[in-house]
Formats: sequence, C-alpha cells, structure tokens
Amino acid sequence: MSQQINPDDALYVDMFIAKNSQTVTFMRSSYSAILGLAAGTLGLTNWSGFIFYFIGSAFLSLLIFAIKAKASPALYFRHPLDVFTEGILGGLLSYILFWTLLYGMIHVYD
Amino acid sequence: MGVWTVLQERQAMLLDPAIRDWVLLPIMLVMVLVGVVRHQVTVLLNGPPRKADLKSARETKGLQRGGILRAFGSHLPRHAFEARKAYITEAFEKGTYLKDPKAGNKPKGNVMQDPAYVETMMDGMKKNMMNIVPQTVIMGWINFFFSGFVLIKLPFPLTIRFKSMLQRGIETQDMDVSWVSSLSWYFLNLFGLQSVFTLILGSGHAADAMRDMQAMSTMGMGPAAGPQMSPTGQPQDMHKIFLSEKENIELTEHEWGLDNVETRLLVKYGKKPRSILLDQKRAKALSAASSSSASSSSSSQAPIAAAAASASGSGKKKGRKQA
Repeated sequence: MSQQINPDDALYVDMFIAKNSQTVTFMRSSYSAILGLAAGTLGLTNWSGFIFYFIGSAFLSLLIFAIKAKASPALYFRHPLDVFTEGILGGLLSYILFWTLLYGMIHVYD
Repeated sequence: MGVWTVLQERQAMLLDPAIRDWVLLPIMLVMVLVGVVRHQVTVLLNGPPRKADLKSARETKGLQRGGILRAFGSHLPRHAFEARKAYITEAFEKGTYLKDPKAGNKPKGNVMQDPAYVETMMDGMKKNMMNIVPQTVIMGWINFFFSGFVLIKLPFPLTIRFKSMLQRGIETQDMDVSWVSSLSWYFLNLFGLQSVFTLILGSGHAADAMRDMQAMSTMGMGPAAGPQMSPTGQPQDMHKIFLSEKENIELTEHEWGLDNVETRLLVKYGKKPRSILLDQKRAKALSAASSSSASSSSSSQAPIAAAAASASGSGKKKGRKQA
C-alpha cells in the first residue's frame, strides 16, 4: 500500500489482467502436456527434446500474440512481452512429465 | 529408424512390462485421483465464504478509497481532488474508519484471546493439513511398496550428482543416472500433473503441488490469514497503516487529466506533430521545478509516462478488456 502508484498502471483493471494471465497459463499448460506427448512419441532425447519444447512454445506464443491478443498485447497485459514468457517454465514441468511417460512407454518398455 | 537403433544400443536394460502396469501407471492414476478428491474436499471444507463484519469491511474499504484517490486523482478537477484529500486525510488521522476508534494507539492485548484471530488461524491450519496429509500418505505408500524399483528412463541425461537423489534405494553404482526410481517418478508427477488438474478441474483449483511446498515451509500460518494479518501472523496496527496511507495521499500531487487535452487530441489525429506535446511537457516540468522543490521524485517521470499513455488517446482506456 505504501509504495508509489505508477500512473500508467491505473489504466489497467486488475481483475482483467489476472483473468488474462490465467487464460494464457491455461493454454500453455495444456499445450505443453500435449507437446510432451508428441515429444515422447517421437522418441526425442537430450537437447532435441528441450529444443522441441521451446520451438513449440514459441509457436504457441505467436498464436496467442496473433489470435488472442490481436497483435496488440499492450491492451491485455501490463508488459507486452508477458505473452511470450508467461508460464513457460511452469509448462516445462508438465512437458517433462509427459515426455518421460510416453518415451518410457514406447521406447523403454517394449 | 536410425534413431531407434541408437536408442537400443544405449538402453541395454529391459524393464518388465508388469512394472509398467502395476507400478508406473497406478502411481500416476492415484496421484491424479487424490488431487481431484483433495480439490473436492477443499471446496467442501471451505463452504461459503465467511462474511466480514461491517466494521472491518469499512476499515479495508476506507483504506482502498485512499489508494483509489491516489491512483485516479487525475480524473477529478482540482477542487474536487483537494476536497477529497482534505476529508480523507482528516478521517485517517482521527481514525474514523477504524474498527474501534477509541482504542487509539493503545497496545493490543494477547492476540490469542481474540476469537476472530484464532478462527482465521484454525482455518489456515485446516487447509495446510489438507495439503500435507495426502502427500505424506502417498509418499509413504510408494516408499513402503515400491522402494528400490527402477521405473523409467528419463529421456535426457543428468549429472552424477543427481544419482543419490533420483536412485535412492537402488544400490547400483554403474547404472546410468537417467534411470530413476519410483520416488523420483512420484516427484515428477507431483510437479508435472499441474496441467492435468488444470484441464480436469479448471484453473484456480485446489490441487496445487506448488502450494504444498510453500505450505510445508511455512507450516502453521497459511495464506488463509486475512487481509489484516501481516506475513508473521500478527494482526497489524491498523491505525499505523492509515497514518502511512495519509502521508502518501498528502504527497500526491494533483495533475488534472484535461490539461492541454486539445493539443493531445490534435496530436492523436495527426493534425499537429508529436513533438509539440514533448515541448509542452518540458516547459511545464521546468516551471514546476523552479516553482516548487517539494515535488516527489516520481512526479518527474510521471509526465513522460502520462504523455505516452495519453498520446494514444482516451479510446485506449476503454480498450483494456478480456482476451
């Protein structure tokens, strides 16, 4: 309460900002699970798996940017770059789980 | 098929499919189901949200009112702003909005005797128990039945340092670190099932593993503590908060949002060059700096931010909407 209020922040409605970032997190976590399934099925290992994830989520970021944010993310987020960064690391854990699961099912257990 | 042969060469170990059917998948299934059950139980336990009593609601809202005045003061004409400022600072000073205005600065008695405080604390405890108990039970279950099982191979290599953590209970020195035990599979699930819960239960669910970790570290006082509790769990002296808010309001300078609005409008529709705005700002800042030295540090940056925001017009303000 005691810190100075940035006049620029006043233009945003907190509730909507929270809702928007929730939407993005939802998309990201679902998408990263699916991405993990794909990576495990393909049998990616080592770096190729991680690179696959980052390329995949960059693609999702582009989709969010173009379709959901209609190419003007400043309207929906405090920091326009949030579209590209939000929830990437949280999604990584889900990705690793499903990647490991499918990889193990298909390529380790016969 | 080249990838496949390389994989087979590296693998050199076969796992019994029965392990997959009776250990790997059941662990995952149980964790998903426990998460779902926990979400439902939490919803049940919480019940309808407790109603705050009138006085404490007034207390928080009064404080919020000060913040709103600070944030949106530029939408008010100067005299209205000054009137509100005078009224609110006086009310805050006297503690009109306090739950119990007569208490003043008198030190609080033992907080444990305050029933509202004890109730909030019990609520927090209950929630934390809900979080910790199921995880402990599952971990005990896995440890009891499946310790020493090699369950799965991670598709990426790890350094030898992880060996003691990921292969606890498996006394094999030469095995590659990427083969992991049942307990590591449990942890992988604990963190990775987030997305599954989000899909099943919708966002904002109560099956959050990250929250468990926090709960374990801050055992006791949970995030359930109400707004009038500080992180340490002690109720704060509201009068002090009001006084600091009052100081903030006093420091706030009024800047009328319609100042040179006509120039901004012309700039927005491209009738005048953008540089006019900057020139005006600079001239204003200069005169302000010379006339008053008491301006706070943020007000020097504020015009720039305000210029950036207002240059793009008032239509943008309406445009902040949901995706």
